[in-house]
This record gives sequence, structure tokens and C-alpha cells, in this order.
Amino acid sequence: MTSSSLFLLLVLIVAVSYFFGRKRSEVVAQSVGGIRHLHSLPNYYGLMAAVWAGVPGLVILSLWVAFETTVMQGIVFSGLPDHLKTLTGPQVNLFWSEVYNLRSGAISAPSDPALLDAMAHITTLEQQSKIGKAVMVIALSVLGGGIGWSLIRPTQKARNQFEVVLRTLLMLSSMIAIFTTVGILFSVLFESVRFFREVPITEFMFGTKWSPQVAINAEVAGSSGAFGAVPLFVGTLMIASIALIIAVPIGLMTAVYLVEYASRRVRNIIKPLLEVLAGIPTVVYGFFAALTMAPQLKTFFEDVGVNGVSSESALAAGLVMGIMIIPFVSSLADDVINAVPNSLRDGSYGLGATRSETIKQVVFPAALPGIVGGVLLAASRAIGETMIVVMAAGLAANLTANPLEAVTTVTVQIATLLVGDQEFDSAKTLSAFALGLMLFFTTLLLNIVALAVVKRFREQYD
Amino acid sequence: MNTSVKDTMESTFAGWTETVGNAMLEGEARMSTRNTDVFYGDKQAIFGVDLDIGKNEVLAMIGPSGCGKSTFLRTLNRMNDTIDICKIKGEILLDGENIYDKNMDVVSLRARVGMVFQKPNPFPKSIYDNVAYGPRIHGLVSRRAELDEVVETALRKASIWDEVKDRLDQPATGLSGGQQQRLCIARTIAVSPEVILMDEPCSALDPIATARIEELIAELSENYTIAIVTHSMQQAARVSTRTAYFHLGRLIEVGSTDKIFTAPDHKLTEDYITGRFG
Ligand SMILES: Nc1ncnc2c1ncn2[C@@H]1O[C@H](COP(=O)(O)OP(=O)(O)OP(=O)(O)O)[C@@H](O)[C@H]1O
Ligand SMILES: [Mg+2]
Repeated sequence: MTSSSLFLLLVLIVAVSYFFGRKRSEVVAQSVGGIRHLHSLPNYYGLMAAVWAGVPGLVILSLWVAFETTVMQGIVFSGLPDHLKTLTGPQVNLFWSEVYNLRSGAISAPSDPALLDAMAHITTLEQQSKIGKAVMVIALSVLGGGIGWSLIRPTQKARNQFEVVLRTLLMLSSMIAIFTTVGILFSVLFESVRFFREVPITEFMFGTKWSPQVAINAEVAGSSGAFGAVPLFVGTLMIASIALIIAVPIGLMTAVYLVEYASRRVRNIIKPLLEVLAGIPTVVYGFFAALTMAPQLKTFFEDVGVNGVSSESALAAGLVMGIMIIPFVSSLADDVINAVPNSLRDGSYGLGATRSETIKQVVFPAALPGIVGGVLLAASRAIGETMIVVMAAGLAANLTANPLEAVTTVTVQIATLLVGDQEFDSAKTLSAFALGLMLFFTTLLLNIVALAVVKRFREQYD
Repeated sequence: MNTSVKDTMESTFAGWTETVGNAMLEGEARMSTRNTDVFYGDKQAIFGVDLDIGKNEVLAMIGPSGCGKSTFLRTLNRMNDTIDICKIKGEILLDGENIYDKNMDVVSLRARVGMVFQKPNPFPKSIYDNVAYGPRIHGLVSRRAELDEVVETALRKASIWDEVKDRLDQPATGLSGGQQQRLCIARTIAVSPEVILMDEPCSALDPIATARIEELIAELSENYTIAIVTHSMQQAARVSTRTAYFHLGRLIEVGSTDKIFTAPDHKLTEDYITGRFG
């Protein structure tokens, strides 16, 4: 029986438990004089019986599925001849893929006769595991259902118990996001530590030269690679700032216009159009930036007498990225400005304030926490955006404050470092993890600052 | 409006021809409405109201819930402009000028005709800034000391000064409902409007605060024109000189407060006053 059909059977047992739990509570109710003498409604008794039937079986099933392969491979491995036991790391993976290929017939002649034994061994184990799993899960859920069923009596606080079950479920769901974040953080941290063993952290954080390409050709004389991340962060900050300088005012003004001034008809036209803008793939923005914006900028600046404008520039990427994130700012700001109660506006108009006075002094302060949230979201979009930069700002890690030069960003470098076949333990690829870690802390810092701003404001006005 | 409601309304007003009493004044009126209709979308909320509000008069508006008192009050300083679906017909005059005229400056109109809303709506700002809001946007004062004085006077008049004088810099949203209501009154009188429209200004106040606000109304009526909506007959009787009775969007009867509360002419008014209705 496969895990999925086992799961279906489990669902069936749960449903049956619910049904019988419910029935039993109704029967029990008769002896005490009707349903209203039960502590809870029959539905809750059914639900509790279902919980008893479902939870233990499900927990065992998922643990079993999660660990069965590892455990079985461990058992087989410990029974191997000595010359195979010494295999490590990637070699172990190779060993197992050969075993499985052998079994499926993709390989006909094993490189080592021990492989045939291993194949036979793992197949037997898998068979046993299958049976064991099915018996275990079915037994547990039937047993659980039985316990749940036998617990039902008029005084059982099924309603309150179910509340506890629900609360636990909700708590577990909230944990998933946290655990994932922590997991990602630790894997990045782990790889970064390996990187910092090869490249000192001070060089990475304060070095001003970035040229990791050289590092793979270790044979080439005098090439050690340079891993100074400063140019990347300066590039990221510059492009993101240009984008925000464009997007924040335009987005906010769009939102204010849509909520406070536009008639319903105009709003019904503009809002879907903005959503279209948000739906354009970033690659399209990218070639718009590279093929239209960048040459236009170059011509423009050369016309006004600025020379040496690069055909790939931070300005072109930043401007186009700014346009891309306008809908983020505007739609979030639109929501929060809409949420400001009309009675506040009335109060202001009633004192003889104009629309703009009302917006500036009453609506905006009231909506500020939400607006800061929107800007923050836009900022993280700008920092994380890769495609537009690759196409319009280039790959050259120049350390410059001139937005007309080509620059590159952290995310672009991460992408280029990991594209293609790479060994995952060279300093070059490991540096991608270090960059990721830095990026993580940057956005974390940004979030903390923004939250502090919002909190101060809330304390003042709530 | 569905037909059954329409039917009851038409039967209620089968014999209704026009407002009973002295809706129009002999002398000069500060504000007057002529044949005013108000619609929310297709639904009519006010039907052909003619009413004068005299200088230095306190006009009380009473009537069952939903009869259109707030709606009528809000037309007097064009607050209904902010509601998209609201349409107004007829004339409304302030000192002989039509306030719905194209050339009318709505902003200065509202500075002249101030309003206290039915639900307290303090701004999410400090108590001080709430009261200083109007004087600041209208440039009524030039120095901080003057502004301090205006704020203090307004808060004293609304009899909330003693409760807030030590916490002027704290958020107004932290005040109790009744305190917020008095703050909103202070906020309105800080602008010194000529006409003050009050929509149930005492609905959340205890008897002592109510008495103080009624004193304030009496004091203000020496210089200002006041229209007040109230659900309390006693309050209407205490503070007003004239009373208007509204019913389902119609102005049924207007008369001196004494007359309305002792010998109303219209059956509907009498039913309402004596508690047989609403
Ligand atoms: N914004 C609005 N949109 C649509 N209809 C409205 C709106 N405001 C009021 N109305 C309707 O107009 C009618 C009059 O409402 P109004 O608020 O003027 O009553 P009121 O006399 O002030 O009642 P109350 O004493 O309960 O405050 C009601 O039928 C109400 O449903
Ligand atoms: Mg009302």
C-alpha cells in the first residue's frame, strides 16, 4: 500500500470516527435527557473523536515517510563490505544512484558485486517498511478513534478541547514560516562561514574591489580573486534609491489622487491599468531599460554636454525599476488611505480645511504606518530585483557615486556566480552565500528601522 | 425604496400639504432654506423644506431617528458635498447669498458655518493640535502665545479644560467618549464661526457636562446663530427659542419652543412630544 492510499484510508477512518463520535454523543444525551444536557453540541464530540483518530496516525505517517529512506540506507550501508563503508560525501550519493539505476535496469553491469547485495537488501527493507507503516498507521488511528469514542460522556468538555486543538494547529502553522526562515538562514550562514575561512570577513565587508571571476583559474599566475563587496552594496543602494525616489512620490500621489480626488469612473479605469503595470514580467522591463531608456539617456546627456556616459547605467536601471514598483506603492497606499475613516475627513472639512490641507494634516498622519509598510515592500522589491539590472546596468563592479556609470548589484552577482556548472566549494560560489547573508541582514535592518518608525508614530497617535 | 414603505409614507402624508407654524421669519434671517430636497441616489431623504434660522436664535430640531435631521443639518454647510451620491435641490441662503452658488467658496463657508458631528471624531493628533487645527489653517493667530490663549479659551468654554490642561500634548484619541465630544465642540468654537450646527452634541455626556454645554449654548447664542439636533425633549425645551419637528424627511411643524411643547398644532408633533411615537 502506498503512502498516498494509506493517507486516504486514514481520512476514511477519521470520517468514520467523526460519524460514530457524533452518534454516540446523541445516544449518551438520551440518558441524561436530551442534547441540551450535554456539555457541548454533538458536532464537537464528533470532531474530538476525529482528532483522536487522525492526529496520532498522521504524525506517525509523516515521520515514517520523512525518515524511512535515511534509516533504510543506513541499515544497508552498515552491512556493506569494508571497502565501501569508507565512502564519503558525494561518493555515497553516487553509490546510491548506481544501486537504484541497477534496480530500474538503467545499468546492467554493476561496477562492484556488492552493489547487487545492496540492491537486494534495500528492496527487502522497502517491502518490510511498507507493511510496517500500513499496520502501524491503521492500528494507531483505529485505536485513537476508539479512545476518542470511549471518552465521550455528557461531562466531556469537547467544545473547549476542540478549541485547544484549533489553537495548537494555528500556532503550528505560524511556526512553519519561522522555521523555514531560520532553516534558510542557517544554511546560508553555514556556507558563509566556509567562505570566510578562505576570505577574511574584513576584506569582504570593506574591500573595494570585486572580481571573483579570476578565482577559478587558480593556475593562472597572480590570480587570487578579489572579494570586496563594497562596490556591490553601493551599486545596490544607488539603484534602489533611484527607484524609490521615483516610485514613492509618484505612487503616493497616484494613491491620493485615486482615493481623494478621482471620480468613481476615473478610478475604475486607472486601477486596472496600474495592475497591468504590476503584471508585466521584469524581463520586459529589463529590455525596455536596456534598449530604450539607456540609449535615450546617453543621447540626452551627451546633448547637454556630459561626456563619457556609459551605455549601461545605474540611472537607466533605477528609473525603470522605479516605474516597475510604482504599483506596489500606490496600491498599498491606496488601501490604507481608503481605510482612514471618513469621519476624520468630515471633521477637517467641517472646520473649513481644503482637500489638500485635510490630506496633509489628517489623512496622511493617520495612514502613515501603512504607507511606511508599502514603501518598505517597494524597497525590498527594489533591492531584490535582478533582471532589470542585469540588462540595463551591467555586470561591472565599479565603485562609483556617478549614476551614469555602469554598476552591478548584490543579487545580480549572486545570480551570475551560481549560473552554470560550478563546483559548490570554490570561494567563488561560496561568496554567493556570503552576499546572500549580507543581503538578509540589510533587509532585516531595514525592517527593524521601519517598524521602529511605525511604532513611535503609533504610540503618539493611537 | 420598496413599494410598501412608499405606500405607508404616502398614506402618512395623504393629508399633508405644508409645514404648520412659523417656518419663515418676519425679520431678517441668518440662514434660510427654500424648497430644499435632498437625495441619496434615487432615495429622497428631505422633501421640500422651507425654514428660516434667525440671528441670535437657537433652533432645536427634533424628530424620530432616521427622519433626516442630520441630513438637513449637513446641507447647511455643504458637508453633504463629500458624499458622492448625495444631491441637493432648492436654495439655501446664508445672509441672503445662495451657498450652493457656483461662486461660493465652500472652504470659507464652512469656516463661517461650523459643525459639531453626531459621532465624536477627534483627529489622531494631540489634544492641543486638535483645537489649534482650525485657527492654524485659517491663520487666525500670528504668535504661539495667542494660539495658546485661543486653545485655552475654547477648551474652557467646552468645559473640558480642567480635565486636559496637564495633558495637552497627549493624543486626543485617548480621551473618553464624552471628553472627545467636548473636545470636538472646543475645536469647532476655536474657529469662531458665525453659525454653529450641532448634531446631538450631548449624546455621550453625563448630566453635569450636559448642563455645562447647555450653558455654553446659551452664552454663544448672544453672538452666534445655533441649530441643534437633539433627541432630548428636555434639552430642546431648555436651550432653544424655536423648535422644528421633522418626520420622514418632511418639516412638519415649526414654532416657538414653548408652543411646540405645550400646544402643538399638528397631530404628528403632538404624538411625538407626548411619546406616542418614536
Ligand atoms: N450617506 C448616506 N447614504 C445613503 N443614505 C443615507 C446616508 N445618510 C443618511 N441616509 C439616509 O437618509 C435618511 C436620514 O438620515 P439622517 O442621518 O439624516 O437621520 P437622522 O434624523 O439624523 O437620524 P438619527 O436621529 O438616528 O441621527 C435615513 O433614511 C438614512 O438611511
Ligand atoms: Mg443624525
